[in-house]
Amino acid sequence: MQISLIEAILLGVMSVLAGSTPAALGTTVGNYTLNRPLIGGLFVGLILGDVPGAIQIAIPMQVLYIALVTPGGTVAADLRAVSYIGIPLAYVAVKGAGLDFGSEQAGGLAVSIAALVGTVGTVMFYGTAMMNLFWQHWGWAELEKNNFKVLPIVDAVLPLITHFVISFIPTVLMTYYGQSVVTDIQQALPMDGLIMKTMFTVGNILPAVGIAILLKSVVDKASDLIPYAFGFVISKSLGLTLVAASLVAAIFALFHYRMEMAKLSSGSGHSKYDEEDI
Amino acid sequence: MSSRVEKKVSKKALNASFWRWWYGNLTCFTHEHMQTFGYMWSLFQVIDDLYETTEEKGEKLRAYWPFFNTEPQIGCIVVGITAGLEEARANGDPNVDDEMINGIRAGLMGPLAGIGDSLIVGTYIPVLLAVALGLSEGGSVIGALFYIVVWNATSIYFQYTIFMRGYELGGTAVDIIVGDQATALRGAVVLLGQIIVGAINGAWVNITTPLEFKNAQGEVFLNLQGQLNGIMPGLLSIGFVLLCWWLMAKKNMKPLTVMLLMILIAFVGVLIGFFDPQLHY
Repeated sequence: MQISLIEAILLGVMSVLAGSTPAALGTTVGNYTLNRPLIGGLFVGLILGDVPGAIQIAIPMQVLYIALVTPGGTVAADLRAVSYIGIPLAYVAVKGAGLDFGSEQAGGLAVSIAALVGTVGTVMFYGTAMMNLFWQHWGWAELEKNNFKVLPIVDAVLPLITHFVISFIPTVLMTYYGQSVVTDIQQALPMDGLIMKTMFTVGNILPAVGIAILLKSVVDKASDLIPYAFGFVISKSLGLTLVAASLVAAIFALFHYRMEMAKLSSGSGHSKYDEEDI
Repeated sequence: MSSRVEKKVSKKALNASFWRWWYGNLTCFTHEHMQTFGYMWSLFQVIDDLYETTEEKGEKLRAYWPFFNTEPQIGCIVVGITAGLEEARANGDPNVDDEMINGIRAGLMGPLAGIGDSLIVGTYIPVLLAVALGLSEGGSVIGALFYIVVWNATSIYFQYTIFMRGYELGGTAVDIIVGDQATALRGAVVLLGQIIVGAINGAWVNITTPLEFKNAQGEVFLNLQGQLNGIMPGLLSIGFVLLCWWLMAKKNMKPLTVMLLMILIAFVGVLIGFFDPQLHY
């Protein structure tokens, strides 16, 4: 299994379109669609010619980074590196080790690699934000002269140079040359050795960090942990799928909303017939 | 103002403003000015439509020079509101000046960042992804396609709608954002999120221990995982998440520190035999 130069270049282009906060395709399509590892799995699969395999590699990575909020422009990890460097390298590693893509071992390896390249993404994120300062500096000087034509150039055109330097070139180099490093590491470290055992165990435990970040964003007080534990039980003990669990959750949300609205309308003296007008 | 004709922003300029914000809110991100250039590019479409001379346009645009940063998708409403205010200002409304515009921008960007980060980024996207992950199990493309279509369709519709609502309402939109109905809806969505985070935890975290204690005859007298399952299935899986949550929420640890701690726990766990992925080529 080799990643060809053409494939590496296509991966580089994807990393530019999908940057974390400053993505060439904008926030909704770039950051919140193409940047997500599950979607990255689809595109990496299309580039490498194995969509089911790449998506299976992407699933555990997506679980690890399921909630990635960038409050005030600080990131824990820029997922463009996870999606377009991590997934291809993990794919090559899993294939090289002869593992089944859906197996727990493949998942563990994928998560370990994802955590590793996540830090590369962080460097890319801060590098992009820093290099854009040049374009903005020039933009402010032109705006002083009421030259409004600079607005689209500064906001949309010049950042593409940043992406080429900070995102495209490193992604092409790392996916093209990184695969041999991954295979070297695999040969040097036996699967039943302490290091590999630790790596796979880390792969099992790290999704807990991702879900804890998510939990933090929806929990304010201790009693908020009860609905969370309820969700855990219907999934783990009752075995509901996530779609089914979402529907159970939706009915509770609906009751909550109705109760709150009923409280409001009784409190302000409206009859329930007036509810539509509020 | 000598002319009595009401100035109105053309639909074309409003659409141009929306799409430029939608695309360009973060394309030239820096830590110095974050979303300022995207905001100026967007609002300039409105200013360009309302005013004649370059000097006038330049002067009005200066209101948007200060720093701006929020969750940019829910932030569409702020851009819409200022488009409405800009129209009122062009019609000579004495209440609207640079200070008032920046008061509204500064007053809304913090609360909206909080609402957007927790509801859109922290709840809606993870819920969609969780459903998509379930649909993609085994390597199916259905889940990925589901996410691409549902996220983009709903999110773009939502952004366009609140942008135009913001424009129509102008300054009065502020009440709606912090109103009672919005609070009730937020509470319901957060409850939904809490339950689903638990379900994701159950479905996607699987931490087990192979630890067994044997007597002198080599018979197992204690199987730790079996004991834990007797208390509650998946106890370690929920326990580790709660531990990580406690470290981050109550002990203010950074996610990266927690990750490093987990790597340490994994290493020690493997050493003492608490963890063993039981791998072979």
